[in-house]
Amino acid sequence: MSVMSIISVRNLSKNFRVSKKEPGLIGTFNHFFSRNTRTIRAVDDISFDIQHGEIVGFIGPNGAGKTTTLKMLCGLIHPSKGLVNVASYIPYQRTSSFLKQITLVMGQKQQLIWDLPPMDSLRVNASVYGLSDTEAKNRIKELSEMLDLGEELYRPVRKLSLGERMKAELMASLLHRPSILFLDEPTLGLDFNAQVRVREFLKSYNKKFQATVLLTSHYMGDINFLCDRTIIIDKGKLFFDGSLKELTSKLSPFRSVRLELTKPYTSEYFSQYGELVEFNPYYVELLIPKTSLTERLSLLLDNLPIKDLEITDPPIENLIAKMFTSNKDVL
Amino acid sequence: MTVIRRYQVNIISFLRIIKALIVSQYALMLEYRAEIALWALSGLLPLIMLSIWSQINTDVTSYLQNIDLTKYFMSAFIVRQFTAVWVIISFEEDNLKGLISPYLIQPVNPFWRYLSSHIAEQLTRVPIVILICMLIYFVSPNMIWLPNIATLLLSLITIFGAFLIRFLLHWNFAMMCFWTDRASGIERLLLIPYLFLSGLVAPLELYPETLYKLANLTPFPIILSFPAKILAGQAVNVLNGFLIITFWVLFLTVTSTILWRLGVRHYSSMGA
Amino acid sequence: MIVRKLRFINIINIINQFWGTSIACEMEYPINLYIESISVIGNLAGSILILKLLFGEGQELGGWDWARSLIVLGFYTLLEGFTISLLQPNMKRIVNQIQDGTFDFVLLKPIDSQFILSLRIFSPWGIPSVICGVSLIIFGLSMINWSLSLLLISYTIILFLCSLIILYSIWFIVSTFSIWFIRVWNANEVLRSVLVSGRYPISSYPPVLRTILTFVLPVAFLTTFPAEAILGQISYKILILAVIFSVLSFFASRIFWKFALRFYTSASS
Repeated sequence: MSVMSIISVRNLSKNFRVSKKEPGLIGTFNHFFSRNTRTIRAVDDISFDIQHGEIVGFIGPNGAGKTTTLKMLCGLIHPSKGLVNVASYIPYQRTSSFLKQITLVMGQKQQLIWDLPPMDSLRVNASVYGLSDTEAKNRIKELSEMLDLGEELYRPVRKLSLGERMKAELMASLLHRPSILFLDEPTLGLDFNAQVRVREFLKSYNKKFQATVLLTSHYMGDINFLCDRTIIIDKGKLFFDGSLKELTSKLSPFRSVRLELTKPYTSEYFSQYGELVEFNPYYVELLIPKTSLTERLSLLLDNLPIKDLEITDPPIENLIAKMFTSNKDVL
Repeated sequence: MTVIRRYQVNIISFLRIIKALIVSQYALMLEYRAEIALWALSGLLPLIMLSIWSQINTDVTSYLQNIDLTKYFMSAFIVRQFTAVWVIISFEEDNLKGLISPYLIQPVNPFWRYLSSHIAEQLTRVPIVILICMLIYFVSPNMIWLPNIATLLLSLITIFGAFLIRFLLHWNFAMMCFWTDRASGIERLLLIPYLFLSGLVAPLELYPETLYKLANLTPFPIILSFPAKILAGQAVNVLNGFLIITFWVLFLTVTSTILWRLGVRHYSSMGA
Repeated sequence: MIVRKLRFINIINIINQFWGTSIACEMEYPINLYIESISVIGNLAGSILILKLLFGEGQELGGWDWARSLIVLGFYTLLEGFTISLLQPNMKRIVNQIQDGTFDFVLLKPIDSQFILSLRIFSPWGIPSVICGVSLIIFGLSMINWSLSLLLISYTIILFLCSLIILYSIWFIVSTFSIWFIRVWNANEVLRSVLVSGRYPISSYPPVLRTILTFVLPVAFLTTFPAEAILGQISYKILILAVIFSVLSFFASRIFWKFALRFYTSASS
């Protein structure tokens, strides 16, 4: 590799010891006297590099190890094994100069002071990061324009909507202008409009400050819009590292074909053409292998009274969900 | 006839609910045993006061000559262990978390939920308190004695009565949560008369005459002093004590029922 | 671990922001002012009553006369003000933050985590206690015709500062345990219940307890010794002992915190 990557992860693993308890009173008693512990491998031998200015999406089912990896990258957790290097720092030493370059935003947790307007939290953070008054003022102005926040900054946080709160939270996390952003479910629970706003903001922040962004999200919309590159992990293991387009074509050699019919048909009739996804007598959705798409389509058009026809890639959510539940060896 | 039968069925199903609540809360409390043990340990105040009072030259005060101070304060320590109440804080927390609405939909008044969690906590405390007493016995054997069965039974009943009064008293104030977000300050205020008027830090008989009478107009002496004296084997007017317990339980039940209804009405009109 | 150096001016600025916002927070609930004031006055009245009862018809309590015992009680009330304003809210916050995970934000700030955790909150509700405590000390001194001595006052202030540091260190060490055992957060309540014994002069306790309250749980340093200092009854030895003790306990809390943090960051999820 010629260019030094800003984040580099080599053979990273993290083990946790957890205790378990059987349900019910007897389980409780047993738990009282002897604690069964077992080791969970939360992150298992993961390696990847991220270049300066990239936006990388981290996806995987709950408990896949996304948050654990993120926390190791920002230095909250020591790795059990392997090497992590972020902006040529070893994260878990948490040196002041390292911490000034990064930020962590967690969708479920907030650092804003609940009873006071966000402006107060911003001032606290400004002092903690050692910003001068004018510096802080300029950055607050700049960020509030980017996030479209105005008088909301002067209302107590508890009176803000979830979307407004998240935007203020982002402001507090970005006030020190970090060059590396770790975002854990930043759009969690937001309505569609707020989600889109947050996405657009992150993209423009990335452009404006050439910041590197690593985010986890359950919303494929976020990943689709923001990330040129996606890393998929499941059960602690790295599954896929590449673009979403690449993933789609790898995962699915099929196209989705939707037909609207003028006459009702039975479901058996379609099985010869492809895999049935959705069916009612006037509406059919089929998965057809890309290789035989043209011939089957012409057959369909010849034999059926078709009112409308649409060909798309199957939705990525479905593909990924399918991958996690069934044939994992697809890649 | 049918009316009576239906009533019986209701009582049985009600008891079943209570039993289920207590069992599940007990399992929960066992999870919190370390926390409860620390709470138990933090009830040291009567023992600290005992150590000071025991240094006082007893010739001076005639009342102290006639009672066994050690037994009194040890009993106060034990009574306090089993009359611990934190319902205001629980209720406030549940209210802030938005749990009250789902509770209101359930067929059982949340009162029973909180009551059973307190009873379950006390059951968890039993072995802890026994352990503490054994520890005290090892350090200074003359501080521990075995009361006879009758005294023990009578103590159990009065301690439960005392707990009930204290719980109801706090429950009355917990209703404030329907009107304000922060009711836990009330808890702090209730602690002061409890500390100084219940006999926790000094036998009430030592108080000046007027203050003694004033204290007896409040429910605090019956919450601690009365059961402690019974456990310590002092001569007390048991019948009188039970009448007072009955009075306070009835009185506080009536007021809390009224407050509950007003509170729920206010709460639902707020659209919460 | 690299020590994060802070410039003095920055510290002042940060504390200004920390305390300013926490006072503003409390002002959102003004009813607390009444509750805390009533609570302080009620507690003080109760304590004086009990003290009166302990004196009975006698003239002394463990060798302390009425006025001097009031001074001990004054120092206790003063200490309680400090506890309400700084110790309790900050230590409670540590435990809460570890529990709900917002503790992570503290660790990611570019300044020392013990500094943030110990001084993040200032609750104004300890001020009534401080005022009452100081008044009680002055009242007690006026009863014995105490003549103003700057030397004694400076001794007392040094000793009292030492006692604050000792108390803080113990409290912080206990709170640190919540990194391993979140559920023992109320260990601080046990500590508080022992501290109550500081309301009365240490010599009014049985000899064994006296030793424990001096050397194991240094309650004597917290109230009795400062009271003795202002009365001019203390030797240099105690003063030196207190200084050594406070420095040691502060460093103990610091070392223990660093150790615990290593544990947190290698085990948390």
